[in-house]
Amino acid sequence: MRGSAAVLRPEPQYASLDQQGDVAQVGMWVFLVNETIFFGALIFTYFLYRTFYSHDFDIAAKDAVLWCGSVNFALLVTSSLTMVLAINAAAQGRRRAMIWLLVATVALGCLFLGVKGFEYYLDYQDKVVPVVNYQAKPGEGPAGELFWFFYWVATGLHAIHLTIGIGLVLYMLLWRIRRGEITPAYFAPLEVVGIYWSFVDTVWLFLYPCIYLVGRS
Amino acid sequence: MTMETDPRRARALPFVLWWLILLALFGASIVVAFLSLGRLAPIIQFGIAAIQTAVLFILFMRLKGPPSLKWVFAVSGFFWLLFLFGLSMTDYSNRQGWPLTHYAKRL
Amino acid sequence: MSVTTAERVPQGDPVSAVPNYLTAENTIVSWLFTKDHKRIALLFFASITFFFFVGGFAATMMRLNLATPEGLLQPAVYNRMFTMHGIIMVWFFLIPSIPATFGNFFIPMMIGARDLAFPRINLASWYVFNLSGLVVLYALVMGGANTGWTFYTPLSTIYANGYVFAAALAVFINGFSSIMTGLNFVVTIHRMRAPGMTWMRLPLFVWGIYAVSVVMLTATPVLAMDTFLLGAERFLGLGLFDPTHGGDPLLWQHMFWFYSHPAVYIMILPGMGVVSEIIPCYARRPVFGYAGMTIALMSIAILSFFVWAHHMFVAGISIYSAIVFSLMTFFVAVPSAIKVFNWTVTLHKGRIVFDAAMLYALGFVLLFTLGGVTGLMLATLAVDVDVHGTYFVVAHFHYIMVGATVSAFFGALHYWWPKMTGRMFPEGIARFAAILTYIGFNLTFFPQFVLGYLGMPRRSYTYPAQWQSWNLLSSAGASILAIAYLLPLCYLGWSLFKGRKAAANPWGATGLEWTTPSPPPQHNFKRTPVVELGPYSYNPEDGSYISQDGTAHAG
Repeated sequence: MRGSAAVLRPEPQYASLDQQGDVAQVGMWVFLVNETIFFGALIFTYFLYRTFYSHDFDIAAKDAVLWCGSVNFALLVTSSLTMVLAINAAAQGRRRAMIWLLVATVALGCLFLGVKGFEYYLDYQDKVVPVVNYQAKPGEGPAGELFWFFYWVATGLHAIHLTIGIGLVLYMLLWRIRRGEITPAYFAPLEVVGIYWSFVDTVWLFLYPCIYLVGRS
Repeated sequence: MTMETDPRRARALPFVLWWLILLALFGASIVVAFLSLGRLAPIIQFGIAAIQTAVLFILFMRLKGPPSLKWVFAVSGFFWLLFLFGLSMTDYSNRQGWPLTHYAKRL
Repeated sequence: MSVTTAERVPQGDPVSAVPNYLTAENTIVSWLFTKDHKRIALLFFASITFFFFVGGFAATMMRLNLATPEGLLQPAVYNRMFTMHGIIMVWFFLIPSIPATFGNFFIPMMIGARDLAFPRINLASWYVFNLSGLVVLYALVMGGANTGWTFYTPLSTIYANGYVFAAALAVFINGFSSIMTGLNFVVTIHRMRAPGMTWMRLPLFVWGIYAVSVVMLTATPVLAMDTFLLGAERFLGLGLFDPTHGGDPLLWQHMFWFYSHPAVYIMILPGMGVVSEIIPCYARRPVFGYAGMTIALMSIAILSFFVWAHHMFVAGISIYSAIVFSLMTFFVAVPSAIKVFNWTVTLHKGRIVFDAAMLYALGFVLLFTLGGVTGLMLATLAVDVDVHGTYFVVAHFHYIMVGATVSAFFGALHYWWPKMTGRMFPEGIARFAAILTYIGFNLTFFPQFVLGYLGMPRRSYTYPAQWQSWNLLSSAGASILAIAYLLPLCYLGWSLFKGRKAAANPWGATGLEWTTPSPPPQHNFKRTPVVELGPYSYNPEDGSYISQDGTAHAG
């Protein structure tokens, strides 16, 4: 898509910018079908093993760092708020608000990654890193380690997706917005990034009870 | 509460209120974990996650707005997962020798 | 035999002033950074043809080895051959074959659009495909994997030597290419249709590609997660399938086949779409039961998700689960049978022309039927217990994947060659190649049904001497099949330089793609066409037909 800040034209296969924006949104939702099933398959393995090894999971999961997971939950949900407010600002021509809200979104995302990194360090201390430094807790059978296999794969993949999301927002800020390509007339690329961002948040909505709320009672 | 779907006219306040609701639900989920609800706890917690997902999808990701085609795709992913969960459980729910109770020693 | 369509149709127009998509720009950069779906289709053509030869080489080595019980290859090498043959043919040839080439080229044209919804994603799909190709070539060159293309655990995760991780990584990356292509088609078909092109006026090829794209989008992510977890277990020791931790090796198979069964429908649905274009054109009759055909395509796409564990009947799943999946497998055969019935009825009272494309399409119908009914045999639990893991299964899936899908691919190649290249090919030798394919194919794979029934296991470098004559027959047939597949390379290549110039619509077909010049201009249509009627408005009485944009043509 090329254009100065003054005039943006649709690509040759589109009749109008409106059609182009609509189709971009549809495209992202189609992509989310794929992402839903990708994470859903992983959660299926969790569901299977938790159902049949619930005792071992209850014991193994006690070492999940509840405060880290919860802080991260709050950070991500807040970032979804700042993202949607940024899109509103873009649509209403409030350029400075849009930029600051997007910066806040990136900051919240980076804070998430920071907390996660610290949590990984605590996990190492708690000896719940399979292969590297793992010790089964008293009463935990061999199936308990399945919980931690899931933990590392799931949080790792989520962190990768979040990093991609941060990259996309930075791309919007440093490339598209700087060149004036996000205007009230056409802000679909930002909407599309916002949809992806909130989806990454959605994944955490499901990972959170899987990891942090097991065997707490 | 009907929310404005067009970003050009949307106000911030409704989104802030829904954000607070999401956080409240999140708090409830934690509380449920510490009550002794047994097998009911994860059902409630994933139910809360489903509600939060609906809020995020419909309001924050603007599923409510045009084009309405988005709904088909938003729902399809979850629908397809039913096939995986449901049909796999026809095996796991009644397979002899599952779950593994005697962990094999690796040769 | 009657006069070919090509001979009946007049010479093509002289070279016009408007540059076509091939001549518009001709630097390497303009090809490698193109956004034109037609050029991207040709780029994919090149890639999959290359991999067809790699997979074909593996097949050649296998059949040479199996010609005698003493064989030719070391057992460990044979294991790597069949593994790489499967991986390359499935992911690097069959799955992208029709969608990424003819789908890319013709979907926008058939719906009256100037390009796909996301041209850059289309190009990215090709680059990701080639990246995965580099990884699989690396695995191959370094010695290959020996797990079979199905990568079953715990062999693949714990015990196998060889480049399993690299092969699995190649498959993982390849999946993204599939997903990007599928996403593009779904969005394009939903939102970029020309005015008047309603869903029920779409050519069946478009419906076929739509169905395939739905399957690609919903099945591939499960494979992605499964191969990711395989890599995590093999490379990092995160043993989610490891029984010493209570993990279930069969879980890997469940997730693998959740993808791979729909994947075989990814391989057949586009072929069905192609055949639905060719048969009405060369029988000069509208397809019988258009609505039924669309419902059948979508039913196959969805039902294909309910049958996966029929690959696991003897793997250790519960018997009640096996009964459920067996029943579902019987159901999924029904829409396929409806399609075969409808194609056959379409021929009735038609003015059939036996051009090469039609020969391939008719071959598709027959070979697909044979493959399909043997599938029903395999769906029967009591039969599967005996023939699972034998050459019966191998013959079944080759009848579908090679007999049907590759025939459809060659049919599409001949049907659309004039449109894509602006040249006609020599009809006589093309017909000969089609018939030779059919003969070679049956000689190669029918003996394998017999061998499977007799009990010869698959994936084995040797066999008891009493089965040699069937094996030798199969290998001999394979050499004929190889020649039949190489012939088009020769005469189609020749036609690029010496073939007659093609008219816009040499076969007298009704789709929108035939309303453009051959080869088409860069943006397909000067003005967006307005669609007046459904596809296949052929009149067998006098050979006249009406294009979808409403222009009538005399017979």
